[in-house]
Amino acid sequence: MIEAAGLTKFYGTHPAIQDVSFRVSEGEVVAFLGPNGAGKSTTMRILTGYMPATEGTARIAGFDVTEESLEARRHVGYMPEHIALYPEMRVTEYLLYCGKLEALETKKLFERLEYVLEACSLQERADSIIATLSLGYRQRVGLAQALLHDPAVLILDEPTIGLDPIQIVEVRGLVKKLAGKHTILLSTHILPEAQQSCERVLIMNHGRIIAEGAPDKLTTQVRQAESYRVRVARPSSEVADRLRQVPDVLNVQSGPDGAYGVDTRIGSDPRAELSRTVVQMGWSLLEISPLELTLEDVFQALTMRKESAA
Amino acid sequence: MRATLTIALKEFRGYFIAPMAYVVVLFFLGVSGLIFVLTMAMPQAATNHYRGVMQSMVFITLMMAPVLTMSLLALERGRGTLELLMTRPVSDWSIVLGKYLAAVMIYTGLLIVTLLYPLLMSVGGEVEWGTILSGYVGMFCAGLAFMGIGLFGSAITADQIAAALSAFFILLFFWIMGFVAQSVPSGLGDVLNHLSFIEGYLEFAKGVIDLKNVVYFLSLAGFFVFLAERVVESRRSV
Ligand SMILES: Nc1ncnc2c1ncn2[C@@H]1O[C@H](COP(=O)(O)OP(=O)(O)O)[C@@H](O)[C@H]1O
Ligand SMILES: [Mg+2]
Repeated sequence: MIEAAGLTKFYGTHPAIQDVSFRVSEGEVVAFLGPNGAGKSTTMRILTGYMPATEGTARIAGFDVTEESLEARRHVGYMPEHIALYPEMRVTEYLLYCGKLEALETKKLFERLEYVLEACSLQERADSIIATLSLGYRQRVGLAQALLHDPAVLILDEPTIGLDPIQIVEVRGLVKKLAGKHTILLSTHILPEAQQSCERVLIMNHGRIIAEGAPDKLTTQVRQAESYRVRVARPSSEVADRLRQVPDVLNVQSGPDGAYGVDTRIGSDPRAELSRTVVQMGWSLLEISPLELTLEDVFQALTMRKESAA
Repeated sequence: MRATLTIALKEFRGYFIAPMAYVVVLFFLGVSGLIFVLTMAMPQAATNHYRGVMQSMVFITLMMAPVLTMSLLALERGRGTLELLMTRPVSDWSIVLGKYLAAVMIYTGLLIVTLLYPLLMSVGGEVEWGTILSGYVGMFCAGLAFMGIGLFGSAITADQIAAALSAFFILLFFWIMGFVAQSVPSGLGDVLNHLSFIEGYLEFAKGVIDLKNVVYFLSLAGFFVFLAERVVESRRSV
């Protein structure tokens, strides 16, 4: 549904992306994962027909994004990174305008309008002037606009950026709901977000795709150990020594805040054993929690692996 | 085509929301109305005098055009809405023409309102409708060119004030050339005179619809709308 081959984009002499190639099949939900400046937005802007690539080609639903731009754009719903709307318009008025630009027939347009207002929980604010909406609601209007013409492909650039945790959960839920009906490519710089919403991630750094795969597969590939955070009331070197003797524990490091980072064998869960040990020794256990893999960990592991392979 | 109309209608409606547009419309109708009333107060008000009104209206249009057009593209670029518009299945020409059409529509509306003045005059006395018609054709053609220049100003920047100023300077340049023409050697002066608005417009106001002058204003309009489209398109590949 989305095919990119050798996409390269220069801003002046600065390459924003280089030789980016990937495919997204029909119905897939794929995340672009990468830190700020990695080139996610640039790639998406090429795919949506906003700007041409310096080199390489891309196709949406079989249509070349530069040669058959209008046809390709018809099959894309796009939510840009910085959601920009006409503040003086009302929500419905704005969506009707967008629908007319998509050349939807009147009957279809009103059907879709009703659908997107419901899907994006916008019914109550349908007559509000956009300027009066909160960021969360504006994000929903942006999404409603992207969905309006029932496009085969949805391209969402950082759909949860700037939202509060509740709104983030809502948007993620919405993406889940849309999966299956549309082919979705979304970008994010937050690892858990990619893990939760997507079947596959493309990891981007410095303008290149450096890894791709299912999120759990990537993390297990990257992970050499499970990690836990253990915090006791009065840390001492004795604590670290004792924790090391717990079965499956590979390594214990003490952190600055009196917490220990405990690495354990993959697939093991020695939390019960750890807490028993601490309590038996008469130390007060304050916290024991799994450490989430961060994007930085993934990058570190990936770049390290590349270096050792070279 | 449909997209062009959709964009034009949205933009046209936008004029009735933006306070700036009201200021401009009031300015146009107010000043031309005032000039009209003053003219009427003169003894033997006649078509002759209305010619003066039409001449000043063209000058007011020249000042108004940059303000009326400054938001068309610059505001969308400044707000970031242009990115979304440019990823919709709408050609750059549709966008640019739609915007242009909106400005032309509002201007045409204004011209129609000012037709009240000669109508009022005709109640009190004789009016040479031929001259009036010719003057209005001239104002319409000049307006097309002015709005085209305004649109171009709006295309080259994301800042509305900068857009209005750029357009205003271009307009002023074309206007002033007519004056410069009188103080330079006649060869160069003729060239400048041809490039200037003034001569072409004055002929309309005299009651002469010369095809040459129509072509002049229309090509000026076409040229600047074309440039605006090129700018919009080229901004994609920055
Ligand atoms: N309009 C632009 N002009 C010049 N450089 C740009 C522009 N947009 C992005 N860049 C540069 O291109 C690189 C990729 O940016 P971007 O695609 O926005 O990354 P991301 O979306 O992953 O944060 C960055 O180094 C950024 O500074
Ligand atoms: Mg970005």
